[in-house]
Amino acid sequence: MVLRMRSLHLPHGLERLAALTCFALLASAALAQDPFPQLHQDISNNRIRIAAADFKPAGSDSATSAEKHTFDTVLFSDLQNAGIFDLVSKSMVPAATPGYPAEINLAQWSSAPTSASMVAFGNFAVQGGHVIVNGFLDDAKNTQFPQVFAKQYNEVASDDSARQIAHRFADEIIFRLGGGINGIAESKIYYIKINGANEKEIWEMDYDGANQHPVTHLGTISMSPRVSPDNSRVAFSALDLRAGFTVKMYSLLLGRAVAFNGGSNSGAPAWSSDGSQLAFSSSRSGHPEIWVSDPEGRIAHEITNFGSDTSPTWNPKTNAQIGFISGRSHLPQLYIMESDGSGVQRMTDGGYASSPSWSPNGQFIAFAWDRKYGPGAPGGQDIYVMEVASKRWIQLTHDEGRCDFPTWSPDGRHIAYASSAGGRAANSRIMTMLVDGTQKHALTGSGADMPNWSWK
Amino acid sequence: MAQALTIRPPGGDKFGSGLTLAIILHIAIAAAIVTAAVVNPFNLDRWGGHESTEGAIQASMVDALPLPPKAVPVEKSVLVQPDVSPAPAPPPKEATAAPPKETDMLIKGKTTPKTAKVEAPAPPKHVQPTPETTKATTGSTATQIPQSIVQNSKGQAALTVQDHVFGQRYAYYFDAVQRKIGENWLGQEADPRASMGKSVKLIFDINRDGTPSNIRVEVPSGSPTLDLSAVHALQRVDTFGPLPAGNKQTLEDTFTYHPQ
Repeated sequence: MVLRMRSLHLPHGLERLAALTCFALLASAALAQDPFPQLHQDISNNRIRIAAADFKPAGSDSATSAEKHTFDTVLFSDLQNAGIFDLVSKSMVPAATPGYPAEINLAQWSSAPTSASMVAFGNFAVQGGHVIVNGFLDDAKNTQFPQVFAKQYNEVASDDSARQIAHRFADEIIFRLGGGINGIAESKIYYIKINGANEKEIWEMDYDGANQHPVTHLGTISMSPRVSPDNSRVAFSALDLRAGFTVKMYSLLLGRAVAFNGGSNSGAPAWSSDGSQLAFSSSRSGHPEIWVSDPEGRIAHEITNFGSDTSPTWNPKTNAQIGFISGRSHLPQLYIMESDGSGVQRMTDGGYASSPSWSPNGQFIAFAWDRKYGPGAPGGQDIYVMEVASKRWIQLTHDEGRCDFPTWSPDGRHIAYASSAGGRAANSRIMTMLVDGTQKHALTGSGADMPNWSWK
Repeated sequence: MAQALTIRPPGGDKFGSGLTLAIILHIAIAAAIVTAAVVNPFNLDRWGGHESTEGAIQASMVDALPLPPKAVPVEKSVLVQPDVSPAPAPPPKEATAAPPKETDMLIKGKTTPKTAKVEAPAPPKHVQPTPETTKATTGSTATQIPQSIVQNSKGQAALTVQDHVFGQRYAYYFDAVQRKIGENWLGQEADPRASMGKSVKLIFDINRDGTPSNIRVEVPSGSPTLDLSAVHALQRVDTFGPLPAGNKQTLEDTFTYHPQ
């Protein structure tokens, strides 16, 4: 550019002026094309690289190896599921299994190919019918003060206790390194198990799909399980031959149903996060509306009056807002309102919305949405997350069949949902993913539906 | 009687021959000058002549100037002595006898009284308060380097922990703090044209339970939107997790805006 200028034999000052003008034009063009900073916070850039060593067997009991294997596997998958770690694959971990801080050579772990910045290790013993686990977390990059924490666990020996200890140890690691994220490894998921056409029972499993077992044995069709914030009760709706679907309450502590005055034709219960109120849908006034009562079903009052309102979900952060699905404008849409029924806002602009679930931090609502619903508009029902303040949304599932019933993990970083390939209810299985739609995997086989993640 | 008077000098007319001689002599001198100019019998150098060789100036580059050799100083010569002759020593002072002491003089009837030496009592020691200095009492006074630097899509953030020892002991905690702020920093809140390459320094406290408080801008970047985006990033954080030790920790965080 400048060379060509010289060939024109411009006067010196004029030549410089022209060169400057050209540069300014080029620079402004470059600025205009400059990409804006990425809107998406790239989590993978910031993940902590952590290595989970196999724990060193410290006892001579024959049960050690089987339970130790359970422990190692569960710990590894817990850390992987957390979504905040870049976990070192087992094949890249050094061969040595350190059992105590004195035995570990951190330089070996922090150098390539392990390149770990954190190392979880320890020893595992079964002595006198008890599992004794010493777990350590070391900062491999901090040579002066490597130890982050040390924990000892002592439980009656069983495969389940080895699993629970691994969950607790993983939760501790996530809590320390995640900046105050409460681990979810001890949380449970309640769901509906389909046993044929006329029997659907409530089941419970660990957050990772292990330990699946039934909770209720009612021999009828149960739906929409919602566990209370203190994990003591499950509210659900069950088919009653005289009254249709009614909201019922099951005590996990007593192991039996307890009284709840839901009235006839009620369903879709939802707990407020303080456990003092229950919102549900009831047709006692003639058409389905949102009602709020106390946990025993007393002092119930109606807070909507437009017809066809259902699926309430509380804002768990404030308990001052309720999201719900309403058919007041033909097809079901997502709405929010204050918990006294005022200030109704429509959130979705079309399609067929269902099953809202408000995120623990109050910022988002996850829901199922078929954006092109109707004859001649082949749309799939997928899971979406909408930011409440801005009404902007993202789609989290694609092309995996009919997805429904999203539910947030207590840390707000995961969503479990039901996915049925081909749209058949019997094929439905429970899946989990991170809230950005990554790390999807199935927790159950087919025949499981309507998951509800416990509050802690 | 008409008579023509003619005055004639007695020696005859000599003026005419002298004039003739002067004219001949002048002509001869002029001819001699012209002849000399044409013939150039002395072949003198002529500056500015038309010959190509004549008048050229030659300059030859030499390594050293051909200076005359340094003359060896003549030792004997008094005038060219290189060494300065030493100044003559001052004349020695005349020794004077010390005046006699009083005791040396024996004066009849006068003796010096002998008195015991009295010890002065030591002044009482009071505990002196140490003066307050502005110097840091913990850590070193050396320049603080950032505890950790995180690069992300919005730029980089460097975190400095005020308490040096604490920062080293719980490095993992501040990495987590750093990561959490980075996750909550939305670069699109800052105007890219005004903020490019600028950085803002914030100071904030972390309470015992991990909640950030007292967020303030220490060094503004000059781009108000960048300053606000950094403050918002901290305000979005609910908790960093409880402090590993202590009740409060003050941190300094630098947000530098340069999206890749």
